[in-house]
Amino acid sequence: MNSLTEMKRNPTDWQGEAMQKRIARRYAAERRFKALGMAAVILSAGFLAFLLIVMVGNGFRGFTQTELPVDIDFPAVTGGASASQFEGPNADANLQSMGLREIVDSSIEIQYGPDGTDLFSPGGWTAVNAMILNDPDIVEQQATVYLPVISDIDVAYKDAGNPEAEAKVRELGDRLSTGFNWNFLSHSDATDPMQVGIWGAFKGSLITMIVTLLLAFPVGVLAALYLEEYAPKNRLTDLIEVSINNLAAVPSIIFGLLGLAVFLNFFGMPRSGALVGGLTLALMTMPVIVISGRNAVKSVPPSIREAALGIGASPLQVVFHHVLPLALPGILTGTIIGMARALGETAPLLMIGMRAFIATPPSGITDPATVLPVQIFLWSDEVDRGFVEKTSAAIIVLLLFLLTMNALAIYLRNRFETRW
Amino acid sequence: MTSSTLLFLVFGLGLVAWFFGRLKASGMQSGGKTSRSALHSLPNYHGWYVALWAIVPAAIFMTVWSFVSPALITDAALTSPAAAALPQDGFSRAAILSEARAIAYGNQVNAFNPLSQSMVEPYREAIAYFQMIGAVAALLMVFACGVYAWLQIKPDLRARTKIERVTMLILLLASLIAIITTVGIFLSLVFESARFFSMVSPIDFLFGTEWNPKAVAGPRGETGFGAIPLFWGTVFIGAIIAMIVAIPLGLMSAIYLTQYAPAKFRAWMKPILEVLAGVPTVVYGYFAALTVAPALRDFAVSIGITGASSESALAAGVVMGIMIIPFVSSMADDSIAAVPSSMRDGSLAMGATHSETIKKVLIPAALPGVVGGVLLAVSRAIGETMIVVMAAGLAANMTANPFASVTTVTTQIVQLLTGDQEFDSPKTLAAFALGLVLFIVTLLLNLIALRVVKKYREAYE
Repeated sequence: MNSLTEMKRNPTDWQGEAMQKRIARRYAAERRFKALGMAAVILSAGFLAFLLIVMVGNGFRGFTQTELPVDIDFPAVTGGASASQFEGPNADANLQSMGLREIVDSSIEIQYGPDGTDLFSPGGWTAVNAMILNDPDIVEQQATVYLPVISDIDVAYKDAGNPEAEAKVRELGDRLSTGFNWNFLSHSDATDPMQVGIWGAFKGSLITMIVTLLLAFPVGVLAALYLEEYAPKNRLTDLIEVSINNLAAVPSIIFGLLGLAVFLNFFGMPRSGALVGGLTLALMTMPVIVISGRNAVKSVPPSIREAALGIGASPLQVVFHHVLPLALPGILTGTIIGMARALGETAPLLMIGMRAFIATPPSGITDPATVLPVQIFLWSDEVDRGFVEKTSAAIIVLLLFLLTMNALAIYLRNRFETRW
Repeated sequence: MTSSTLLFLVFGLGLVAWFFGRLKASGMQSGGKTSRSALHSLPNYHGWYVALWAIVPAAIFMTVWSFVSPALITDAALTSPAAAALPQDGFSRAAILSEARAIAYGNQVNAFNPLSQSMVEPYREAIAYFQMIGAVAALLMVFACGVYAWLQIKPDLRARTKIERVTMLILLLASLIAIITTVGIFLSLVFESARFFSMVSPIDFLFGTEWNPKAVAGPRGETGFGAIPLFWGTVFIGAIIAMIVAIPLGLMSAIYLTQYAPAKFRAWMKPILEVLAGVPTVVYGYFAALTVAPALRDFAVSIGITGASSESALAAGVVMGIMIIPFVSSMADDSIAAVPSSMRDGSLAMGATHSETIKKVLIPAALPGVVGGVLLAVSRAIGETMIVVMAAGLAANMTANPFASVTTVTTQIVQLLTGDQEFDSPKTLAAFALGLVLFIVTLLLNLIALRVVKKYREAYE
């Protein structure tokens, strides 16, 4: 009886009101879920966009500097120095003995009053020095040079500064202008934000990266080849694999502790040098290269190996003449990604003393050096407001560098990707 | 002769040896009687054979010599008449000798102690003497071994086999560097931590609740090394706040990009999200300290929270969570993709909507992989340094208030090891103890995560 009524009823009452309602509810939930997913993606990308906008917004001003014109009547203040004095190897010494700084200061005092020099960045006169060395003929004529003002006025002119500086800016009015800050690309660290530059840190990064690459790349590639092609299945191989995978996941600061305890304290290598920095970063980068290298080697089809073995190549010839060249683009991609990570790394380098104030660019691997990320960290600690835009500007340079490296990696991957 | 010139010379001679070995072998190859097939290995391998014989023994000798010669040099310098004036007391004697050595090697310009200036000349002589002995011996070895190998070249010399054996050894050595590094990390952490624990009891360290290394009482009476507040701060920022941000955003992004997004959108968005993981952490740290932390403090003040700090756990945690999003999303992506499509198709065929399929079928099936990914992300977050150094503050607080300042293990390691370093004070050594704890915890998290992921993957094979 009961089963009969069930049979008479439609299997599902699609048109029923309750069913319609339920379906509408389920579809709404579906749309909500989809929108939630979309929102997550947009929000994540939005964070990135916000980060970049903040950095670029703060940083682009770091590439400019506020300047005031100074007329220097060279023949009058130098007592008729001739251009020939400032050519050749003795030029710099002659400039020093002439007392260029006093000359510039007196020209400033003529135009901006006795307190005029307080308006200008203390190291600004070196720009005149460089200008004369570049073009000695200037000393025989009158010239107008644009010299950077002090950081407070710079901040006040570009943005909002402290009241005194704002008043100064209003007073100087139209005479203030902004120019491209070449110093920022060519100088090293300094105590005055108007004089700082990234060249020293940039060079330090470059040297450190070269050391890292020279150590990590050969070792990483050789280890990848061994593990993928020759390693017998035994305890030792398992141990090597486990340690490589672990090293890839060890926090970077631990590598810094290793560098401090082993390279500095045990082997007594020079502190703060690019050598120890490069060694530490190489140990960090090597596992990344091994892992990506193994994948690249693995993706070379066995038929290539078998063909080479078949015509009489030795196992070593198979790998070095056939497998390695085919796997190299993949290995290079992994290497660039590993190097990009090493380039952005800060914490281990703080441990080995690369956080010193370094005003001269390093010229060798044992000279005290700093790298771009550490320079950013050091500047971020400065209280002077002028450093804020310099820090962001340095971040822009670092990010541009990383983006270029990643773009290169993607290009290589697309260019050499082979479907076997 | 300096050691770098010697090194260049030895390698230059190695090149010459390679050339002569190759020349002799190819002479045999083309020289009338012996046919091409009679030569076991290609001439190149003979060249390498001679070159390796020339370089390797000399290089080993030079390495050993560089360890032995400093002691010999010091002994020789001490026999000079100037050494008679040195004090007998061991400590000041060693200081003078090391200063003289530094000047003689050119690492230092002026002496602080006049006695060391008098020792410079004997040192210079001894250095020159022993360097010359080393150089002559090394060059003799290059010649002797090179000529020996050169004489061995015969058509049936199995040069290739020998070279390949050496190459295999080099490959193995390259792989062993990973083990050496791991052992090096472990030993250096354990060794320095042991010195720390000889001064501070491990129980006080692991379970103490007061962290104040600046106010160390003195030898044997050390207090203020209770690391619990640091562990709490690390967990609070890395495992709680960062994960509250990263898990929903990462998971939902992965779901949207794998299940809903058009292929083209996915192709663009996935790399863009991955950029988040590629931004250097010092940039995140600066962003957190400069932009996020002040904004959060203003927000906290405006809703009436007192004690809001400009260095807050929330700022560091949120920014760290953003950094972690790509890790969570790519792990979730992988494990969702690993769910067999028959399960998904079956659910859809039964009339479930897309979101119901995802919630009831895909996520439960992919859960172990997702959990593994989250564990890896946590391990990454608690080992992260720069964001917390720049945004989390230094106050060792045990608070659950996200607007308050807390400190973490990595922040304290950086604090303890920058500035003046004395390697016998518990203050410096505490950093290694913290490092050891960090190393062990991240290692365990990684091992568990990998085990979870692996076990789950087997389920569908």
